[in-house]
Amino acid sequence: MLKKTATIINKLGLHARPSAQLVTTAGKFKSEVFFTKEGLRVNGKSIMGVMMLAAEQGAELIVEVDGPDEQEAMEAILKVIEGGFGEID
Amino acid sequence: MSDKRKVIHGVPISSGIVLGTAHVVMPGDFRIVDSPVPATRVNREIAALEDAVEKTIAELSEMRKVAVRKIGGPVAKIFDAQLLIAGDYEFLQKVKNEIRSRKRTAASVYNKLVRNATNPLKNSPDHYLRQMAIDIEAVASRVLSHLIGNSVSKDTHLAPNTIVVGRAFTPNDVMAYRELKAVGFIVSRGGADSHMALIARSLMVPVIQTEQCCKIIPNGSRLIADGTTGDIIINPTPEEWSEYQRRRKRLGPTMIARIRRLPKIPPVTRDGKEMGIGANLSLPGPADDILAERQIPVGLYRTEFLYMAGNKFPDEETQYRTYLRIAEKFAPAPVVLRTFDLGYDKLGNGADWLHEDNPALGWRGIRAMLDMSQVFKTQVRAMLRASVQKNIKIMLPMITDLWEVERAKKYIAQVKLKLRRDGIPYDPGIQVGIMIEVPAAAMTADTLAKKVDFISIGTNDLTQYTMAADRTNNRVNNLYSPFHPAVLHLVALTVEACKKNNIPVSICGELAGDVLAIPLFIGMGVDLLSMSPSRIVDACRMINKVDSTLVRHLVTSVVSSGSLQAAINRLKDYKAAFEQRK
Repeated sequence: MLKKTATIINKLGLHARPSAQLVTTAGKFKSEVFFTKEGLRVNGKSIMGVMMLAAEQGAELIVEVDGPDEQEAMEAILKVIEGGFGEID
Repeated sequence: MSDKRKVIHGVPISSGIVLGTAHVVMPGDFRIVDSPVPATRVNREIAALEDAVEKTIAELSEMRKVAVRKIGGPVAKIFDAQLLIAGDYEFLQKVKNEIRSRKRTAASVYNKLVRNATNPLKNSPDHYLRQMAIDIEAVASRVLSHLIGNSVSKDTHLAPNTIVVGRAFTPNDVMAYRELKAVGFIVSRGGADSHMALIARSLMVPVIQTEQCCKIIPNGSRLIADGTTGDIIINPTPEEWSEYQRRRKRLGPTMIARIRRLPKIPPVTRDGKEMGIGANLSLPGPADDILAERQIPVGLYRTEFLYMAGNKFPDEETQYRTYLRIAEKFAPAPVVLRTFDLGYDKLGNGADWLHEDNPALGWRGIRAMLDMSQVFKTQVRAMLRASVQKNIKIMLPMITDLWEVERAKKYIAQVKLKLRRDGIPYDPGIQVGIMIEVPAAAMTADTLAKKVDFISIGTNDLTQYTMAADRTNNRVNNLYSPFHPAVLHLVALTVEACKKNNIPVSICGELAGDVLAIPLFIGMGVDLLSMSPSRIVDACRMINKVDSTLVRHLVTSVVSSGSLQAAINRLKDYKAAFEQRK
């Protein structure tokens, strides 16, 4: 099981499009993915869960990945978050 | 009581006049009973849920297809997130588990869990997070409607001329209601920058926003809604009804179709002088084809729709393809593409990252673009690449001082150099112009005119900055009048500076299509009037009536009139005399 912390850097936060992007990325892997923000832990493959995090710019997310392809999954997820979801700010 | 006449001044979101009957809907207002179900029915509830979800996904996919066909790629993306929400495996598992463990109906469990998810979002101060709650509710109301069958999407038939009144509508609702021939919308939530506003404008459906509309407007009452001014009249008098019917005929979408039948474009004045006429556009839509067919130039193509479709700046390729499609459609007629004019009135409704105490005087238009130079350069590069038809012009909004023009032109030169190095073709003679909307720019127009290829006067903002009054603020909008001699003086000053420096000048605010103002602009020597497509037919007719040699004195008389009332009196006198003459 891998566990890392990532910060939401894009100005608009985890709104609909980035949430969709995050869930789509997590969904590509066999591993289980969880995000935790301020004690709220949600399934990373569920868009409703990710949206419930209401993560604004600057929010810290704990990313947990567990499964056969956890290494690749963690890398892909961090890349999406740290890349600001491709939003130019 | 219910047939009492009442007038509301709302916020205009999408223009046009409609007359009809109110149909008040309460999305999400379902009669959901949290009653226990016998253990034997649990499986049936789960099957019903799966069926409802399947139907919702099919509907959303269909909506998405229609959106792509009617409006185009960027807007259709709104449906992508909704499709993910509808098919959220994890969430549906949770619903099913709770149906089994608590033995409740699928509708009540689904509804409860959706509320758990949306409540924190609804209370967020962030506009984008609140928008997500609206997206989730849009999906949920569909699923619930299939489960219990009384809702928005269950309206299968509407009476003719129905004006739909509700708390908030999703883009899906707008499209679904349009298919049922609803003529307009009144909403209590969702500003000019909301997704539904964007879609409504492109479909040319009038929309007005006003607080508490569901409570104030009785279901079934007769309504007049003017999406251009924001006025709503509940139970109007017969006189008002016929007056607005007359106005609607003059301004409706049919008016755009009538452009096809205009005898001559560009129109000529009585004494045979050609007057340039152009269209202001905000989003590719059904009007474009008619305008392109008549070779009507686009005096102002706003590009903000590209940003608003995804709440982000689209990449170069996306922009390039959009601009190229527009350029090809209109060629050889010129298209003036305005660089992103984002600021308080486009994003202000709740976009907290933009919060400013005085946003109208803040970071907007070219000010923001010069700070975000990469975004600006990407947009310019896409516009330049699309300029190979040689009919694109670039316009910079909200110019205040010379250095902004110089800086922007430096960036444009850098982008051109890069394109040449990359061997990518563009129009080397592409014209770059500016919008004059700030009094400071109007008063120094002579200096600015020496640095640019054309000038366009944006009378809406010029009026608000000159009169220090916000058009949407009911308490002061009596002061907001572009006919005030101070505003007209600045317009005249700018036109004069353009004439002196031999560059074309156009007007692209609402005033350009105002029949009272048109003689004045002809008198000043304006080259082109660019207006919303629905006003072109009336404007052309007005131009046909004016004798350009007889209106020059009118300009001096109005500009020096000293007060709003005096200016308007002189224009009205002129119009009366002129109507007598013919």
